[in-house]
Amino acid sequence: MYFRTQPILPLSLLFLLLASGFVTALLGGSTFNLQLRHLWEALSGNQTLATELILSLRLPRVLIASAVGAALAISGALMQGITRNPLASPTLFGINAGAACLLVVGQTISIPLLSDMPLLIQTMLGALLAGAAVFLLSGGTTGRLHPSRMILAGVAVNALFLALTRTLLILDEQAQSVVSWLAGSLVDTDWTHWQQLWPAVLLGISVSLLLSQKLNLLALGDEAAAGLGGSPERLRLQVSAVVVLLAGSAVAVSGPIAFLGLLVPHLARLLVGQDYRMLLPTTGMLGAALLCWADYLSRLLIFPTETPVGLVLALLGAPFFIWLSRRQGRTA
Amino acid sequence: MALRMGIIAGALLLLAIAGVMLGTLDLKQAMTSTWVLQELRLSRVLIAILAGAALGIAGALTQGVIRNPLASPDLIGVTAGSGLAATTTLLLFPQLAYGWLIPAAIIGGLLALLLLLWLTGDHALSPSRLVLVGIALSFWFGALVDWLLSSQPQQINAALVWLTGSLWGRGWSHVWLLLPCFLVLIPFALTLSRKLDLLALGDDTAHCLGTEVRQVRLLALSTAVALAAISVAVCGAISFIGLVAPHLARLLVGGRHLLLVPTAALLGAALLLCADIAARTLAPPIELPAGVLTSVIGAPYFMFLMLRYRGW
Repeated sequence: MYFRTQPILPLSLLFLLLASGFVTALLGGSTFNLQLRHLWEALSGNQTLATELILSLRLPRVLIASAVGAALAISGALMQGITRNPLASPTLFGINAGAACLLVVGQTISIPLLSDMPLLIQTMLGALLAGAAVFLLSGGTTGRLHPSRMILAGVAVNALFLALTRTLLILDEQAQSVVSWLAGSLVDTDWTHWQQLWPAVLLGISVSLLLSQKLNLLALGDEAAAGLGGSPERLRLQVSAVVVLLAGSAVAVSGPIAFLGLLVPHLARLLVGQDYRMLLPTTGMLGAALLCWADYLSRLLIFPTETPVGLVLALLGAPFFIWLSRRQGRTA
Repeated sequence: MALRMGIIAGALLLLAIAGVMLGTLDLKQAMTSTWVLQELRLSRVLIAILAGAALGIAGALTQGVIRNPLASPDLIGVTAGSGLAATTTLLLFPQLAYGWLIPAAIIGGLLALLLLLWLTGDHALSPSRLVLVGIALSFWFGALVDWLLSSQPQQINAALVWLTGSLWGRGWSHVWLLLPCFLVLIPFALTLSRKLDLLALGDDTAHCLGTEVRQVRLLALSTAVALAAISVAVCGAISFIGLVAPHLARLLVGGRHLLLVPTAALLGAALLLCADIAARTLAPPIELPAGVLTSVIGAPYFMFLMLRYRGW
C-alpha cells in the first residue's frame, strides 16, 4: 500500500464544510434574527442582547456539538480498526446505551460508590461494560468477529440496557428531564459541560493520533502486525480504552447520539483512503461538521420547537446502515 | 409429550387465576367487587394470553421458515414496521376508530416483510443476511416512529403508552378485536405446520415430497407477520417473546411443528402473563410496561442462546 498522496482538495472542502457548519449552527435557526454582523460584534467585544445570546448560549452549544461529533466519529473509526469489521460502531455495540444506563442508575439509585463518582466516570463505566459484553458475546476472544453475530449481540445488550433505563426512569417519576437527553440532544448544554468535555476529548483524540500508525499495521492482519513489531493484543486494549474515554465523555454530555460513529468513518474513507494517519483527523473533522449541521437542522425541522439532534442523525444514518448491512450480508 | 403439554396448559391456567387475583387492590375487596374482576382483570388476562400466544406462534413460524433459531418477528423488522404503521394511523388520523389499528398494523408488517425480501434479494433466504438487514430496517422504522412522536407532541401520550408495550388500560373491546383474528389464523398456522416439518428436511426433499416450497414459505411468513402485527396493534411492541417461547417449546417437545406451534403458543401466553403480573405488582401503584420486563428476562436468555449457537 502506498500512502503518500495528500488529497488537498477533499480536505479543504471538508474544512469549508466544518467552518460553514460551525457558523450556521452558531447563528441560524433562532427565534432572534441573528446576523453575521452580530458575530462580528461578539468577537470585537460589544455587549448587546444578540452578542450575549451568541456567547452564552450558542457558542458552548456549537463547541460541544463539534467536540461530541469528533469524539463519536473517531471512536467509530477506532472500533472499525481494531475489529476489522465495517459495522462496528458505538451505537451497534450498545456502548451508547450502556453509558446512558449507568448514568441513569447513578442518578436515580444511590449506590454508595457509584453515585459519588463524577458523571464522566459513570458513563465510561457503562460504555466499558456494554462494549465488553458485546465483544465477548460476538466471539471476539476467538479472533474474528462475525458481523451478524456482533449485531445480534449488540441488539441484545442494547435491549437489556434500554429496558433497565426505562424501568428506572418510570420508577423514579422524574423522567421528563432525562427523556429528551436519552434521545440525544444538545438543548441544555452550557459552558460547564464544555469544561467537562474538552479535556477528555482532547486527550482521547491525541492518543488515537499517536496510535494511528500502529492501526495501519493492524489493518494488514494480526500476524503481519506482530511480525512488524507491534503487539495486536496490547494495541487493542489501548484503543479500547480510548474508545471508552471518547464515547463515554460524549454520551455524558449529549446523550446517546446514534449512527455518527458508523456513518462518518465510511464517508471519510471515501475521501482520503485507508491510512489511519489521515483517516482519523478527517473522520474527526467530518464528524464535527456533520453534527453541527445536524444541530442546525434539528432546530429548523419543526421550527420553534427543537427536535432532538440524535433523531435527525438516526433518520439519516439508518438507511445507510441498511445499505451497509446489505453489502455485508452478501460477503458473509 | 401430551403430558408435558398438559402440564404447560395447567401452569397457564394457574397463572391466569393468579393474574385475575393479584393486583394493587386487596384480594378480599377484589372478591367482593366483581366489577374489578370482570371489567379490569379478566379482560386483561385474556388479552395477555391471546397476544402472548400470537407472538409465540409467530416466532415458531418465523424460525421454521428461516431455519435459524435466532430469528423472530422483532429481529427481522416486522414488529417495528407494524409499530410504525400503527403509530402513523394513531397520530395522523386520530379521528379514525380504534378498530382500524389492526389492519394498519398488519399492512405495515407485510410491507416491512416485502421491503426486507426486496432488500435481501429473494433468491436467497440466507439467515445471517436476513437478520442483518432486518435489524437495520427496524432501526430505521424506530427512528421514523421517534420522529413522528416528536413532531406531533399533542398526541404523544396516546402513542407512548401504546409503544412501550404495555397492557395498561386494555379492556373487553380489545378482546373482541383479538379473538376473531385469532380464531382464523391459528387453524391456518396449524395446517401450515405439517408442511414446515417437510421444509425442515431441506428444500429439495420437500419439493420431491410434493411441497410448493416457495408458497409454503411465503404463507407461513405472512401468517407470522399477521399474528405479530395483531399483537403489536393491541399491546404495542413486546419484545423477545417471539424469540424465547419457541425455543423453550423446542426444548420441551422437540422440533416437530405440529406439537411445537401449540406449545409455543401456550408458553408465549404464560410468559406474557407472567410479565404483566410482575409489571403491575412489583412496585405498586406505579405500573411498569410489560414490554420492559420481557426484555429484562428475554435479553439475557437471548445472550445465552448466542453463546451456545454454533452455526455462524
